Order: sequence, then C-alpha cells, then structure tokens
Amino acid sequence: MLFWQDPQFGEKLITMLAALVLVLQILMVAQRWLITNIRAFGVQSFLLAAIAATIAYFNHAPHVYVVAALTLIFKAILLPLALERLVAKIEIRQEIEPLVNVPISVIFSGLLALLAYVVAESFHRPDEAGLGHNTLAVAIALFLIGFFMMVNRRKALTQVLALLCLENGLFLAAISLTYGMPLIIEAGIFFDVLVATLLLAILIYRIRETFDSMDVSRLSRLKG
Amino acid sequence: MPILVLLLIPLVASAASLLLRNLRRMEAAYLVSAAGSFAAAVWLAAQVLAKGVVEWAGGFFYADHLSALVALLTAFVYLAAAPYAVGYFRRDVEQEVFGNGQTGAKLRKYYALTPLFAFSMLLVAVSNNLGVLWIAVESTTLASIFLVTFYGRRTSLEAAWKYAILGGVGLSMALFGTVLTYYTAHQVLGGESLSVLNWSVLAGSAAHFDPTVMRLSFILVLLGFGTKAGLAPMHTWKPDAYSEAPAPVAALMATAVVNCALYALARFYVLTERCVGPAFVSQLLIIFGLLSIGIAVPFILIQRSYRRLLAYSSIDHGGIMALSLGFGGALGALGMLLHMTFHSVTKPLLFFCAGNAQQHTGNDALKKGPGGLLHSLPVSAPMFLLAALAVTGTPPFSMFQSEFTVLRAGFAAQRTAAVALFVAFVIAIFCGFFYHIANLVLGPPADLPRGEFSRWKTYPVIGLSLIVVVLGFWLPAPVYALVDGAARILAVQP
Repeated sequence: MLFWQDPQFGEKLITMLAALVLVLQILMVAQRWLITNIRAFGVQSFLLAAIAATIAYFNHAPHVYVVAALTLIFKAILLPLALERLVAKIEIRQEIEPLVNVPISVIFSGLLALLAYVVAESFHRPDEAGLGHNTLAVAIALFLIGFFMMVNRRKALTQVLALLCLENGLFLAAISLTYGMPLIIEAGIFFDVLVATLLLAILIYRIRETFDSMDVSRLSRLKG
Repeated sequence: MPILVLLLIPLVASAASLLLRNLRRMEAAYLVSAAGSFAAAVWLAAQVLAKGVVEWAGGFFYADHLSALVALLTAFVYLAAAPYAVGYFRRDVEQEVFGNGQTGAKLRKYYALTPLFAFSMLLVAVSNNLGVLWIAVESTTLASIFLVTFYGRRTSLEAAWKYAILGGVGLSMALFGTVLTYYTAHQVLGGESLSVLNWSVLAGSAAHFDPTVMRLSFILVLLGFGTKAGLAPMHTWKPDAYSEAPAPVAALMATAVVNCALYALARFYVLTERCVGPAFVSQLLIIFGLLSIGIAVPFILIQRSYRRLLAYSSIDHGGIMALSLGFGGALGALGMLLHMTFHSVTKPLLFFCAGNAQQHTGNDALKKGPGGLLHSLPVSAPMFLLAALAVTGTPPFSMFQSEFTVLRAGFAAQRTAAVALFVAFVIAIFCGFFYHIANLVLGPPADLPRGEFSRWKTYPVIGLSLIVVVLGFWLPAPVYALVDGAARILAVQP
C-alpha cells in the first residue's frame, strides 16, 4: 500500500497538524503585536482547513471537503484580511496589553493544555477506530486558551480574536469527534460566525469613534 | 404549513421595511406582520392541539405542545409591542431625539431588525434540528445587537459590547454542548444524515447515549443557553442591555428571548434526563435557579434606575423557571410553563409603563427622579403599580398561582431548603420592588405636564392590564391544554 493511502499515515499527519495548531495558539498568547496575532489566526485557520481536507481524503467523506473549502476561504483568507483592514482604518496602537504578563500567560496556557488532555482522556476508547484523542485534546485546549485570552485582554479587537479562537477550537472538536456536523448545519454556523464578526467589527468601529479608544475597561459606566 | 407561514411573515416584513420609503408604510408593514405572526402562531397552536405534532419539510421543522406554546408567547409579545413601538417612536420623533436627518434611517433600522429578531425567535421554537436551534438562538443575538445600540449613546455601545461578547462566548459553549450530543448520538444512531440531530429522533434513543458525554454536554448547554436566558452568574449583560434598548425591544428581550433560551435548555434537559436520570440535571438547575433569584435580591433593594430594576426582576423570573424545571416531576414542569406564560404577559406591561414614564420624565432614575407620576400620567402610572403587584406574585394575580405551583413542586420533590430560600427571596423582592415603584408612582406631584402622549402608547397598556387581571381569575381552556401538553413533554418518565 502506498503511504498516501495508509490511514496510519493520515492519522499521523492530522496529529502533527493539530500540534502545530496548538503551537500557534500559544504563540498568539505569547506575542504582543496585533497584526501578528491576526496573521497567526489566519495560519491556524489554514491548518484547520488542511486537517479537514485530510480527514475528508482518508475517510472518504466528500462533504468535509466543502467544510475545508469554507474554512480556507472565510477564516484563513477573508476574515484576517478584513480584520487587518479594520486595524489600519482605526489606527489603533499595535501593541496588545495583557492583564497578566506574557511569561505567566504562556505557563498558564500550558497548564490549560494539560487540563485539556485530562478531559479528552475520558472520551478515549481504545477499541474504537477514530482520530485518537490527541486532536480532541488540542480542540479543548484551544477552547480553554481562547477563554483565557478573552479575560486576559482589554482591547476590543483582541477579544474578538479570542472569540474566533474559541470558535476554531469548536470546529476542531466537531471535526475530530464526528467528522464535522452535517453540512447544512456547518454552513449555518459558518454564516453566523461571519455575521457575528462583521457586527462586532462595526461595533468596534463605533466604540472607537465615540470613546476614542478601544480599551474595553473604559466601558464601565453601567453598574449595579 | 402553519410553520411556513409563521416563519415567512416576519421575514417578508423585514424585507419590506428595507424597501419602503415612507415611514407610515413601514409602521403599517410592521403592524401587519405582528398581527399576522400572532394569527399564524394561533393557527399552529390549534393544529398542535388537534393533531399532537405538526411537522414540515420532512421533520426538519417540528412543533409539539412545547414549541407551539413558546411560539405563541413570542408572537403575543411581538404583537403587544407593535402598536406600542409605533407610539413610542412617534414620541421620540416629536422630541427630536435622533438629530437632524437621522430619523428615517434610525426608524428603518428598528422596523427592519425587529421582525428579523422575531423571526429568529420563532425559528427557535419550531426547529427540530439541534444545530438549527443553536443557529437560531445565535441569530437572536445578532439581530438585536444594533437594537441595543439604537440610541447611539456611549452607554448603549457599552451595553451592546457586553451583550455581544458575553452572548458570543456563552453560545460557543452551547455549540460545544450540541457537538458533544451529536457525537454520542452519532455513535448510537450512526449515519451521516441530518436527522441524527433532530430532537424528535434523539429523544427516542437518549437512554442509550454515553452518560459521561451527556453530562458534560448538559453542563456546557446550561452555561451557554443560561447566558442567553440571563441566569446568574452569567447575567451581567442583562441590566445594561435592557436599560439601553428602546422599551419595546427590552420587552421582547425580557420575555421572548428568555423563553427561547429556556426552551432550548429544556430540550437538552429532556435528553440528558432520559440518559443519566433526573438527579444530576435537577441539582444543577436548582443551583443556577436559586442563585439567579438570590442575586436579584440585593440589586432590586438598592436599585437606582427602574429600567434596571425590571432587568433584575427578569433575572429573578428566569431563575424561578429554571428552579421549577429543576424541581422536576409533573408539577415542576407545569410550574415552569405556567410561570413562563404569565410572565410573558405581565413583563411587557411593566416595560411599556416604564417606557411611558421614562419618555415623560426624561430619565429612569428611582431615587433622585421626580415621584408622583400618578399626577402626570393618568393611565400608565396606576397600571405601573398594578403590573408591579402582578409581577411580584401578589394574589390574586396569576403569577401568584404559578409561583405557588413551583412551591408545591418543591415540596413534592422534598427540597425543603430550596423552597425556604425561594420563599425568602421572593418576599424580599416583593418588598424592594413594590417600595420602589410605589415611591415612583405615588409621592407628591412634580411639576410635569399632565397627560399621556397618544393612544398608541396607552391602549397597549390598557389592553395588557385587562389581560393580566383576567388571567388572575380565568385561564382559557385551550391555553391551559397547551401548557399541560407541554408540561407532559418535559416531565415524561420513560
């Protein structure tokens, strides 16, 4: 059997891609430039599309190709481009100011990844042929680190990025557990995520216009 | 067929508002869509009562008693808010709230987005597929973000940001829960077909699902849809959004959205209960329910703004519904759904009165603001007091009956401690709420002009007040049949 038909090879490929996805996520926590963060998100989405395509190929699930294509077009290309344009348009400072400093954030992200492995272990069944629990562990790690990024960052745009990372984690979970949700549902979720990002971008633009800042800690007049 | 009509009417109205040039025609399209949606919801309810289950598009859309009840309540609030909104915005236009040249665009935004908002809530009620259910709940957030920023104040942007981000995070958890449910269902039912996510299919085989996965799934769904319903501690967006949105939108959010989120939660509740037994889900729902009721208490007692007061009251009532579902059994489900029904009638009345008062006095302050509204608002002010009594569960109003049912459900489930806390919280909330509203309405006259603005704003108030009073003594048999049928769906023992 040639190696590109061997499911074992497919599994290894997917595990490697998933590991890269996790590395990118931690990179996003670790570095401070907004533009790099957006590009890292783009690359991460590209890797997710690659994982989806690999799964489609080795499991002969043609509908997953569509999902991979959607991910590639929207999440890997269009969304990062749109976000970069937004950054250029509102002329914000390019640096991210996390609440917890970078080394501690990275260590914490590592701990969250460890926790994700523990959670994913409970899903593991040795008797069952599947994608292994590695991919699921990465998915849960993305989800948890996305949460952490959400609370650790004050800029409105970085919160949107964190939300998109959460969403990437979900996507990976869905695809590693069940080869993706049914196509029409997946498309609907995609549409919702896109519209949500668009609306949030408009909202950021208006917040920037009104407050002359994107710092969400300034959004603190409503209390009690 | 009724499902198709129900979904199409608000969609068409939304599109029409984008095309129409004339403000009066936009208002007309909006009013017609509200009346049409309500008629379609009544039609759907009648069909469900006659046939049991209505399906469309091969089971993709599905309505049983529970769906029909939620659709009916949503359409009812949509209908009640329609004439009120017309009057409310005419008053805004007269006061030149929007600045020059902005009026048309602003109102078009309202008349286009609100039907879309109603559409997504109706879709929540009739979608069988759990994936579509999630998409619909997410759409309710998307459709309403720019209704929260309607007035474009700094505080509205702040409220909308919290609403969008918390809603987004919450719903991503709900989606994770949905994915997990799909995963375990996939293992049992197999196949790649769409029907594996259909609730009607899942409910039949939930007993064979993996209990670990279902537990995790339910926790995520509870946190997710709980955020949308405003259960504590994920409730923080609620007072902000409710006090910044225009009053008719706030009325929709405080009733119909809460209903939809709890409806989605209830669907997962049934699946999880059938898989892992009632103890686990009950425990969680009771904790979150009591926490929501409890957290409302201090904020209601010290509240300074009556719009925010209403938001905390809505957190309290969402908590009561979750608590009742948590008590379980036939009585618990009945208590939850009765409370949902009565709350959906009473809460819009409060928001309308609050909106009238706010537009009349120009602010929504409780302590520093002018008291003695009774002297300047001859209709809205006394009805405000009546609605405050009704919503805090004072007899003979209907919410007393539903809260009493919740109480009985608690005793039947032998949760005495939870019941004791519940009663203590409800009494404290009654005192705080009534004290604030009484101060606002009674009190010495402030020098404000006397008189209501227009019939558009007073007739909905009078109409709803009549319904609230009548419901205290008489619940129409078909409505009760619907509630009862829905309660059976939530309370079934397999």
